[in-house]
Amino acid sequence: MPDLTRLRAVLARRTEGRAVVLLIAVLVAAVAFEPVVFSSFQVVLGRVALIGLVALGLTAVILLGELDLSVASTLALSGVVMASIPDPVLGVVAALATGLVVGLINSFFVVVVGINSFIATLGMLFALRGAAFVLSGEEPVRLTNIDAGIAFGAPLIGPLTPRVLLFFLVFAALQVFLSRTRIGREFYAVGGNRQAAIDVGIPVRRRLVLGFLISGVVASLAGVINTLERTAADPTAGSTVLLASFAAAIIGGVLLNGGRGTVLGTLIGALALSILQVVLTLSGVQVDIQDIFVGSILLIAIISDPTRLRASVSRLRDSLSRSRTRAPA
Amino acid sequence: MRISRTAMAAVGVAATAIVLLAGCSGSGDSGSGDGTNTYDVYALLPQGTDQPYGTTYLPAMQAEAEKDGIKLTITNSKYDADQQASECEVAVAARPDLIILWPAVGDTVRPCLAAAQAAGIPVTVTNSGVNEEDVPLTKGFSGPDTYGQGAASAEIMCDITGGQEVGILVVNGLTGNSTATTRRDGFADTIAKNCPNVKILAEQPGNWNKDDSQIAVSEMLTSVGADKVQGIYAADDTMVAGAIDALKARGIDPAPLFITSIGNTKLGNPLVVSGELDGTVFQSSSWDGEHAIDLAYTVLTGGDAKDQFMPSVKVTKDNASDPDVAPEW
Repeated sequence: MPDLTRLRAVLARRTEGRAVVLLIAVLVAAVAFEPVVFSSFQVVLGRVALIGLVALGLTAVILLGELDLSVASTLALSGVVMASIPDPVLGVVAALATGLVVGLINSFFVVVVGINSFIATLGMLFALRGAAFVLSGEEPVRLTNIDAGIAFGAPLIGPLTPRVLLFFLVFAALQVFLSRTRIGREFYAVGGNRQAAIDVGIPVRRRLVLGFLISGVVASLAGVINTLERTAADPTAGSTVLLASFAAAIIGGVLLNGGRGTVLGTLIGALALSILQVVLTLSGVQVDIQDIFVGSILLIAIISDPTRLRASVSRLRDSLSRSRTRAPA
Repeated sequence: MRISRTAMAAVGVAATAIVLLAGCSGSGDSGSGDGTNTYDVYALLPQGTDQPYGTTYLPAMQAEAEKDGIKLTITNSKYDADQQASECEVAVAARPDLIILWPAVGDTVRPCLAAAQAAGIPVTVTNSGVNEEDVPLTKGFSGPDTYGQGAASAEIMCDITGGQEVGILVVNGLTGNSTATTRRDGFADTIAKNCPNVKILAEQPGNWNKDDSQIAVSEMLTSVGADKVQGIYAADDTMVAGAIDALKARGIDPAPLFITSIGNTKLGNPLVVSGELDGTVFQSSSWDGEHAIDLAYTVLTGGDAKDQFMPSVKVTKDNASDPDVAPEW
């Protein structure tokens, strides 16, 4: 049946399979143990919007074959910048500008200086966190207009709060960018085979800069949203987000080495992880044990990466067949 | 035999699901009733068995809950304001009969209190107070009189310094935490009023942590000059133990210095007996845990809920070995 074959071919190319399987497993667990999570889906949506937003920015960078570990600190610093400025509009602009600057600095280290992005953004993680502490005087900075912050946390359209709506906007924008624009599709080329991309004439350095800019701005947007909803900017904010965001992207099928993955996968991964975290909190499971769950799932996701699995399975088969042929008759 | 990609992924995630289900069924910090549970209460705490105070606070809380027929779900946000805000969202969504809140950071709890009020869930506060403008959103407070504790420690400092010109270092609690702020205010105000001969040369946060406090004191000794320091005040015994270690590491004998703190813990009480610590203030973690439930129960049963303050008993060498100030944590 030609339709089924084509469907199978299309599905085989998709990378979101593991995220879907995890989502189904988590939904089953939710139905079995904490069905109340379904009536409190606004909480899940809020979680998805937080983890997912940062993960979306990360996806852009990971697709290029790079890493950005500084996203959580960018979130905190942008929040502090925003809360430190009495004028709300100016505050938001300044916060987003902070994300832009962070992205520029990261790309300077990676593209111009040539430092490995893991090292460069690791250094920025500490530097930015320190900057957030210095700027805030080491204590939370309250918003000048607290009621505006509380209003921001209230549902706008149906059960959807501004945070969730902004998340879906960013998701839609990135989805269109990566799948329908030439520049976005070049991200996959740069991550997939950088040398080939250079040879073919793709401006690789410019794409890398753009990737880090996207990651920085999206992280600062998350900081703005977080500060508005908490009505204060905490310099320690975002510390719980880094692990979950990475996990969401990797579970969603984004390949750590770059060149493969979709924002849809990241969304499904974020959804699965958010439901999992909410179910675990409702069950009274402590945060440390929740981290064990998330960490284990991340490991399984990395191990079960289809390419790697196929490679290890074929290596296993080769060594088994070699030992079989060596065995005496 | 070709093992399909999907099958491998499904096996991997099914294994996770099994772990999930096993973990979920075996976990949970809920208080156990004997079938006569009448109330569902969420306790949002910033510490638990990861801190000495929490380790003795929790059993007293759980025992009192069992007695009163309260089913407790306890969370531990480890002083992460973001984490506590997320846990609050989940708690409000679970629609319990009451929420007991121990704020990690007083400045960021307003959204949580507002959400609980909107959902018709009463909130009582334990151990650390909320900001004054947020008090109308709560039904009552039980816990130490933290301002009074700072004042009592200052009174001991004034007594022992006896009018001499003395320069001291101050080690505060976690920045932004209301206990840290009020204890500091209580101490500083009382020093300024009762014995202005005592001058605060430098202050740093020790984050309620012994190692952090040791590092902070060491840095302050370097920056201020160890010969100018005649005393130290730390906001709790855990931190004063770190401060004393910092002195010993530099070869400075703590005994002739004027050192006071708060807590009368298993770390601090022996230091008072040995003479290294000149005075502390008794804080009973079991009183704290028990009265958190007591107040909650009063609110739940429609009683007259009045704020309950723990008495601040001074502990010096004269009474350190008395059984009624025996350390609990």
